[in-house]
Amino acid sequence: MEVAVMDHTNIKTRSFGCYEKEYVDSLNQLYSENAELPGFRWFLDTAYAWAFGEQDRKREVVLLGTMIPEEIVIAAGAKPRWLIGGSLGTAAWSDDLVPRDADPVSRSILGYLHRPGAAPGPEALYIVPLVNDSMRKIAYELKSQGRKLCLIDVPPDRKDRYAEEKYARQMKELCAAVSRHTGTRVTKNTAVSAMRRVSAARTALQKFLEQSRGRAELISDAARLLVHNSYYLADSIDEWTRRVEALSRELAGRALCQNRKTGSPPAVLLAGSPVRFPNYKVPFLVRDAGLAVADCVDEAALKPCISYKRSSLRGSRDQLIQMIAAKWFRHDASSANIRNDVMFEMVERIAKQGSVEGVVWHVLKGQMEYDFELDRIEPMLSGYGIPVFRLETDYQYQDVEQLRIRLEAFSEMLEQNRYRRVARVS
Amino acid sequence: MDRDADKRKERQDRRFIKRETQTAAKYLRRLRELPGAPEGMEPFYQALERIYVQLQAVEREAGRKTVGTYCVMTPPELVYAAGAVPVKLCSGDYTAFSVGDGVVARDACPLVKAVAGFQQTGLMPAYADCALMVVPVTCDCKKKIAGLLADQCEVMTLHVPASREDVDIEDFVTQLYVLMEKLEEVTGSRISYQSLAEGFGKVGYAQYELSEFIRLKKEMLYLIRGSHAMAIMNAASYMPADVWGEALGAVNQSLRKKIAQKEAVTSKKLPRILLTGSPVVFPNVKIPLLVEEAGGIVAGDETCMGERGMWDPAVITDDSFDGMIRALANRALRPCPCPSFADNARRIYRLKQLIQENRIQGVIYHVLRGCLVYDYEYKRIEEELGSLGIPVIRLESDYNEEDIEQLRIRIEAFIELIKLKQAPEKARAAERSF
Repeated sequence: MEVAVMDHTNIKTRSFGCYEKEYVDSLNQLYSENAELPGFRWFLDTAYAWAFGEQDRKREVVLLGTMIPEEIVIAAGAKPRWLIGGSLGTAAWSDDLVPRDADPVSRSILGYLHRPGAAPGPEALYIVPLVNDSMRKIAYELKSQGRKLCLIDVPPDRKDRYAEEKYARQMKELCAAVSRHTGTRVTKNTAVSAMRRVSAARTALQKFLEQSRGRAELISDAARLLVHNSYYLADSIDEWTRRVEALSRELAGRALCQNRKTGSPPAVLLAGSPVRFPNYKVPFLVRDAGLAVADCVDEAALKPCISYKRSSLRGSRDQLIQMIAAKWFRHDASSANIRNDVMFEMVERIAKQGSVEGVVWHVLKGQMEYDFELDRIEPMLSGYGIPVFRLETDYQYQDVEQLRIRLEAFSEMLEQNRYRRVARVS
Repeated sequence: MDRDADKRKERQDRRFIKRETQTAAKYLRRLRELPGAPEGMEPFYQALERIYVQLQAVEREAGRKTVGTYCVMTPPELVYAAGAVPVKLCSGDYTAFSVGDGVVARDACPLVKAVAGFQQTGLMPAYADCALMVVPVTCDCKKKIAGLLADQCEVMTLHVPASREDVDIEDFVTQLYVLMEKLEEVTGSRISYQSLAEGFGKVGYAQYELSEFIRLKKEMLYLIRGSHAMAIMNAASYMPADVWGEALGAVNQSLRKKIAQKEAVTSKKLPRILLTGSPVVFPNVKIPLLVEEAGGIVAGDETCMGERGMWDPAVITDDSFDGMIRALANRALRPCPCPSFADNARRIYRLKQLIQENRIQGVIYHVLRGCLVYDYEYKRIEEELGSLGIPVIRLESDYNEEDIEQLRIRIEAFIELIKLKQAPEKARAAERSF
């Protein structure tokens, strides 16, 4: 199939398979939505390079999912390579390895590990957070293949008085495992340096997200999401931070000369299962249905809040690691929890602010943890008068038209709610 | 309005009780009617009948509280030591499942849906009576149901580690101490060295009788049907360990007599099937019943509601109080081939062991819809057993009777396949070497 792609990058017109097509289609859409934003192109290139470029496969450290503190990995002199799922193509590669009901994120992650010619090398160290059944069994699969593993068994019950201690101990073990792998000792200095670098990145991201919220005329919602996701795709965190800061400056400049759009579309919160590049069908559909994504709440949504003040970077190396562990444990909104109180509170805080008119609760098939959470979240949101739309899907594109009709109906309902609110006030 | 709602609830409850008791009675009748049962089965049937048909609480001494447990990782010894009686609450009830279907996530496994259904209706005394529920977090469904149950009753979770390193055992020991405190708080009785030793004694006696039962089964092929063995194992959930052990002792006596008289359940060489995978919990015993109605025999099982649930005894190497707690932690984790562990190579070893000991000719891999951890391990097990020439069939089922005919056709075909294989190599089948 011939696909015409962007002319600003190194993408050429060529034949694509399922894996490539999905990336190129998403990149094309993102580019066409944000063609006027030069600062955004670097993020597109980064995503492209991650998907098609050569990876540095020397003693790499592979992080499965987003819930591993990368500051520890960086402090040990490694460059983290994240596998966060999101690709239909890679999900298809693992079809023979996983049961039918496995969730697409795990399928996609496992698929990346078997990607012909680009899978992590045999010397790689895999860090696997055991947040759900699939991750546990992926770890078994990797171990059977003789790969080097470091497992993080996230304690599921926050009321367990030893949970934080257990998590902290595992962080120390992680530190030692990565150190052994890279041959670089983690010292207080390397830990402080890593913490500063990730803090700068997270602060830049937080600033960017705040600045671009509700400014679809400056940058599209899906592009905001890509900027966030590209953190896991970028080759260098420092370069990524600089680019995000530059993009924020560019947006601030453009905001001065461009008025806010009047008659803004209903703002929704996109919450639940993570939306990962290149599978952006949900944000694209939300946009097509005439809705604006005000915020995204998934397992990694609170990560930008994990930053370390300069004054707190004191104490021994172990104390610093203890601090990292404590911060991460408190901000963990992953499905590892018996009750995902962190996610619940985050959604409640947004609902209280009154900045969203509806919630799109995204459930990827097989991630039933989010369905359990919805049972608690829906009554809470109804208390604030916020309707919830449960959108269940997977990485396939066959259901796009069905979802479009349902989202359009939801959008209409939110519009009607606005009229009703105005009528009530008047 | 309230009166209408009350009346509606009353009607719903009546319907629930009627359907639930009818289904349980039907399966109990089928078990009773299945020929070849050894003498002494009645106490087990009565225990199941008491819970599921008469809807009564677990029979126990007056004043003793019950503690609900899930999975095999909760040590019953600790519960007995606290003066309470453990009740395994994993359920196979179809009617409760249909209620739970509307309560929990659609993709949750039927076992969890049945638990949620019973909890929702509040009509099952075995659940309603529990002073505490101990939920080991073994899979995503158990993890989430723990949160749901905590809204309605006192719940304590146990973090089951994904690996079995020394440090994981240490963590589990710490959790058992926390569980001990909780049990003491709930029951009002202190767990002493003496009471813990008595708890070990009760469970040890039951385990001794079980090991004898397993030995007798191995001594003579076709000594007992798998469905009857499943009924015995399921009844263990609702009987105090000493009472169950005593009843099993009577069955063992009858089996010894049968061996002496060379009296098997059949004179035919029925294909010998091993049942593994998701647990078979009463009244969802359709698969063993179908196997035995289709001309096979369930000669062994590797499920957590079956022999695996009680097989491994706690080994005390240090007879101090702490040593006993450590023995419980070790027993709960080290030998356990539950697929909730990240590395579960020992399950394959255990399956091979069971196949050899019970001269198994085919394996039925049971997967309850939504039970992801077992489903993940199927491929590996199929490959391993395939290399030994043991046919494996994956049966996915739910808690309803709609798939019975489909299952029957597949089971019949599987048994036919084994029979065809059996004919030319009948003589060699028993000598298969590993």
